[in-house]
Amino acid sequence: MPRALLTWIGGRLLGAAATVVAASVLIYGCLRLVPGDPVLALTAGRRLSPEQIEAVRQASGLDQSLVRGYLDWMGGALRLDLGLSLHYRTEVSSLLADRVAVSVPLILYSAVLAVLLGCTLALVSAVRGGAVDRAASVLAAVATATPPFVAAVVLLSVFAVGLGWFPATGAGSGFWDRWWHLTLPATAMAVAAFGVLARVGAAAFSEELGRDHVTVARGRGIGGFALLRDHVVRNALAPLVTVIGVLTATLFVGTAVVETAFGLEGVGSLLVGSVSRRDLPVVQGVSLVAVVVFVAVNTLVDLALPLIDPRVRTGAVR
Amino acid sequence: MSAAEHGPDDVLTVRGLRMEAGPPGSPVPLLDGVDLRVGRGETVGLVGESGSGKSLTARAALGLFPAGARVSGAVTAAGTEVIGADRAALRGLRRHRVSMVFQDPRAAVNPVRRVGDHLTEALRARGVPRREARDRALDLLERVGIRDPRTAVRRFPHEFSGGMLQRVVIAGALSTGPDLILADEPTTALDVTTQAEVIALLDSLRRERGTGMLFVTHDLDLAAAICDRVHVMYAGRIVEETTGAELLSAPAHPYTRALVAASPSLHGDRGAPVPVAGRPRSLAEAPSGCSFRDRCPAADDACAAAVPAVRRHGGAAVACLRPAAVAL
Repeated sequence: MPRALLTWIGGRLLGAAATVVAASVLIYGCLRLVPGDPVLALTAGRRLSPEQIEAVRQASGLDQSLVRGYLDWMGGALRLDLGLSLHYRTEVSSLLADRVAVSVPLILYSAVLAVLLGCTLALVSAVRGGAVDRAASVLAAVATATPPFVAAVVLLSVFAVGLGWFPATGAGSGFWDRWWHLTLPATAMAVAAFGVLARVGAAAFSEELGRDHVTVARGRGIGGFALLRDHVVRNALAPLVTVIGVLTATLFVGTAVVETAFGLEGVGSLLVGSVSRRDLPVVQGVSLVAVVVFVAVNTLVDLALPLIDPRVRTGAVR
Repeated sequence: MSAAEHGPDDVLTVRGLRMEAGPPGSPVPLLDGVDLRVGRGETVGLVGESGSGKSLTARAALGLFPAGARVSGAVTAAGTEVIGADRAALRGLRRHRVSMVFQDPRAAVNPVRRVGDHLTEALRARGVPRREARDRALDLLERVGIRDPRTAVRRFPHEFSGGMLQRVVIAGALSTGPDLILADEPTTALDVTTQAEVIALLDSLRRERGTGMLFVTHDLDLAAAICDRVHVMYAGRIVEETTGAELLSAPAHPYTRALVAASPSLHGDRGAPVPVAGRPRSLAEAPSGCSFRDRCPAADDACAAAVPAVRRHGGAAVACLRPAAVAL
C-alpha cells in the first residue's frame, strides 16, 4: 500500500474519532444544561426526600465536576455501560440490545428497498431519456418531498386498513414474519431516500453514458447489460455509494417517527418514549449510538472509495 | 470519384453517404454525398478542418451515428452493409471485422477498470474463453511494445503515459484481428516523438496483417507520408481525392491548395504558412453550389450554380470548376 494511502486512511479514522468525541461532549453536556437542578429534570418533578435527591445525584454522577462526570460516562460507554434507565430500572445497553433487533432489520430492509428501486428507476430514466426521464423525475421529486409520517399514514390506510395485506402494528416473531411485519414501515422510511437516489442516480448514470469510453465500448460491439454493468453502473458507483451511505445513516434517525407510527419496539420509539418520560440516560445512550452509527457508516464509505475508484489510491483524484 | 472503381478486395466502401440531424422540419445537414473506399492493406487518409465531417464519416463505418441522425447512402464495411443493419449484425461487425482507434486514449479507456479488462473485453463479448483472451492480450501488449505485459494488464489506465495508453488502445483495436482499422486522429493527443512511434506501429501492423486503414487527421504532412490515397473533406463533402505523393506536390482543389499553404513545412520548401481566409464552415452554414466558394479567391458566379461535379485533374479527382487555378 502506498504511504499516501495509509496517511489518508489514518486521517479518516482520526477525523471520525474526533467527530464522535465532539458529539459525545454535546450529548453529555445537555444533562448539565437543563434549566434548574438537573435532578428535577431527571425525576420529572416528583416529590422526593433530600436523601432520595442525593441518591439520584450520586447515581447520575451529578455530584462530580462536568469533566469528571463526562469522563466517567464516556469510560462506561466504551465498556458498553451507558448507565441505568430511570424508567425501566435496567441497563441502557441491554435495553438498546433488545431494540436493535427490530431497528437494524428495519433500517437494512429500508435501505435495500431504496437502493434497488431508486437505482433501477435511475438507470431506466438515464437509458430511455425523454418522456420516461421526465416522468421519473416528477415521481422522484414527489417521493423526496414525502416525509416518513405522511408515507406511514398513507401506507397504513391503504395496505393495512384498506386492503389488509400487511399488519398495522408489531414487529412479528421469526424470520419471515418479521420481514412481513416490517414491509410497510421499511417502505415508509425508504420513500424519501428512494426519491433522492433516483435523481442522483439518473444524473450520475447519464453523465457516464455520455462519456467517450462508453461510445468506444459500443464501437467494439459491447452492448446491453454488459455495457451498463461495466461502463455505466461501475463508473457511477463512487458518487452513488457516497449518497447511499449518507441516506442509510439518516434512516437511523427516521426510525423515531416510523417505529412510533407502526407501534414497533425499536430504538427510535425508545428514543421518543424516553424523551417524553425524561429518561435522560436512555436519551443520551441512544443519541450516542446514533452518532457512532452515522460516523461509522460514512467512514466506511470513505474507506471504500479507493476500492471503487483506483485513481483515489494513487492520489490522482482528490 | 474512384469509389466507382471499387474491387472485391475493398474492406470499406462508402457511396453517396448523406447524414442530417435535428428535427425533420428544420434539418441540419452534416454530410452530403461522401464517397470513398479503402482496399485491403491500403491506408487511406481523410483530411480537413474541424467540423468538416471526417470523424462522422469514419464512425459511420462502424454504424456509430449521432443520436437522431437520418442517414442515407451505402456504407459497406468488411462485407456488411452498415446502414439499416440490425443490432446483431452491427455487433458482429464491431466484434470481428472493424476496430477504431480514437484521438484521446485517456477518454477512450474506462478509467476505473484494469487495462487487461479493456483488452479482453471485445474478445470476451464474442465468447472467447477468459484464459485464451488473456493470453492474446499479453501477446498484443508485447507486440505494441509494452514491457512486462503481465504486470501491465493488472494496472489501471492512469498509471500509463498517454503514448503508452494509446499503444494499449491500439492493442485493444487489434485484439479482434480486424480487416479494417479506423484511426481517428490517433496521434493528435500525443507528443511528437510518441506520435512517430505510434504511426510506425500502426503502419507495421497494417503491412503485416494486410489490414485496411482509414486514417483521419488534420496533419497534411502526416497524411502525405503514410497514406496511399488521401481524401480531402470540406463542409461535409469530399472535394478532392489524390495520392499521398501528390497531396503536397500537386494539390488541385483551391481548398487543398489553401490547406497546403497554411501548414508549416518541416523542410522549408513551402515558405511561411499562409492562413486559409475566412473560418471553417460546417455543411449547415455552407453557401449554395461549391461550399468553399465564399473563401475561394478563384470563385465566380458559375461556382454558385451547383455543387461542382467531380472531374479528373492529373492523378487527382476534384470537385472544382477550376482545379489548380489558385496559386500555391
